[in-house]
Amino acid sequence: MNGTRFFRIIFSRLTGRRLDWLLAGFALLLAILPARALAPWTGDVARIVVVPIVPLMHLGMVVRDRIRPPRAAFDARAPEVVELEMATERYRTLFEQSRLKSEALDREIAQLKAVRTRLGNSGVQLETASVVGIDPTRREGLVRINAGLRQGVHRDAAVIIHGDILGGIVANDPGEFVSLVKPAQRCSLSVRLYPADGVDAGLNPSAYPGTVLKPIDGGLWIGDIASDVEIREGQIARITDDRFGSVARGMRVGRVRRILPNEQVPLARRVEVEPLAQLIDESTVVVAIDPPETRP
Amino acid sequence: MRWAIYILAVLVAVAIDSSFGGVLKIGDAQPRFLACVVVYAILSAPRAYAVRIAMLAGLLADLLSPTIRPDDSQLVVIGPWTLGFALGALAVLPLRSLLYHRNPISSGFATFVFSLLAAIVFVAVWVLRINLLADESPSWWPGTGASEVWHQSKVAIANGVIAIPTVWLLDRSRGIWGFSTAKRLVHGAARETV
Repeated sequence: MNGTRFFRIIFSRLTGRRLDWLLAGFALLLAILPARALAPWTGDVARIVVVPIVPLMHLGMVVRDRIRPPRAAFDARAPEVVELEMATERYRTLFEQSRLKSEALDREIAQLKAVRTRLGNSGVQLETASVVGIDPTRREGLVRINAGLRQGVHRDAAVIIHGDILGGIVANDPGEFVSLVKPAQRCSLSVRLYPADGVDAGLNPSAYPGTVLKPIDGGLWIGDIASDVEIREGQIARITDDRFGSVARGMRVGRVRRILPNEQVPLARRVEVEPLAQLIDESTVVVAIDPPETRP
Repeated sequence: MRWAIYILAVLVAVAIDSSFGGVLKIGDAQPRFLACVVVYAILSAPRAYAVRIAMLAGLLADLLSPTIRPDDSQLVVIGPWTLGFALGALAVLPLRSLLYHRNPISSGFATFVFSLLAAIVFVAVWVLRINLLADESPSWWPGTGASEVWHQSKVAIANGVIAIPTVWLLDRSRGIWGFSTAKRLVHGAARETV
């Protein structure tokens, strides 16, 4: 009875403005409740409330679609979509091709500039060539380049990579448009060994130890050097002979990998030299073509 | 006033808003028939009921406009539109004395005022909610509250325009609403519904 009276009093007082304020306060309270307090029930209430109007909403949607038809749904397998995707892929490939080509050209220009700077005005003609074939076994390291007699390529012409590394020499009489290049690792080379951290410009080249490098298995060279000469691993081997034209002289070929005792000749040691770069790994090279009168 | 008719009209308006209403969308401003119905009722119903009938419609608007949470679940927040509609009703009530409320053009103006104030309160409540509960994002995220007020202002104009024919049509059915038509003369020029 007391409870009933309490509610009667409450409801008799909750009229007019008081009820409005109470409802507004309740709404404000609900509005600032955290999600964890609302999520469990407000969604369900909304779903229940929406039930009576669902048929009317569907009717409205039908009318809306009749008046303003929705755009056709996207079909990923539609012919025009497939065509567009193929075109996109094609242009992406072309773009990538062009980018790679541009990069290769930049590299070629850099190489040519580097070689040209070394040569000065010696009359040597420089031709860039692409590697068009390699020895599939990679044992001999032979490569074929797309430059030949038509470009002036001659036997023993120096093939330069990375600006100042002797990659190899043209192996035999070149063809009209292609030439076979023997990698430097397959050649005997007369070299001097220079410090890796730079050369004293005031010092005569003959002050640096020299040796003849002979090719051995594994793409390395080996050479004998006197025991009393100071030599360290990492020193750079540069060409000193004129067999490959004036261009090749002074170019880098390899780095001292190991220094071994020579058991047969106690007063000498053996140096094992590894190439600085592999011709077979390159895509473009520079061929230095000597003027006819200076050819070796 | 017959509450059943009002509730039915509100439900129909909500249904139209969420389905057919898209046809009337201009740009990103879609008019809401719910505001027109509420304003029509506020202008005609007894003053004592005005805030309550607006809050009832606001509650329905809240229930049918869930927000998407960061985890892609929906959250129905009760309150922003409820309070917005209440303030809109309080703003429209004084206009009853100033406007000839059976004139559709007056109703259009009243609907514009109602919608604008309701939207401002809606945004304000959400801003309060964001400040109190940092992990919540409002329905207009990633936009700002100001951009939402601007958007809702355009909606309010659209509401005002659409209210003119809607209120005219609603007025044709005035008989079934059960509004009191008894008038009494009070001191001064104004007439007031009993």
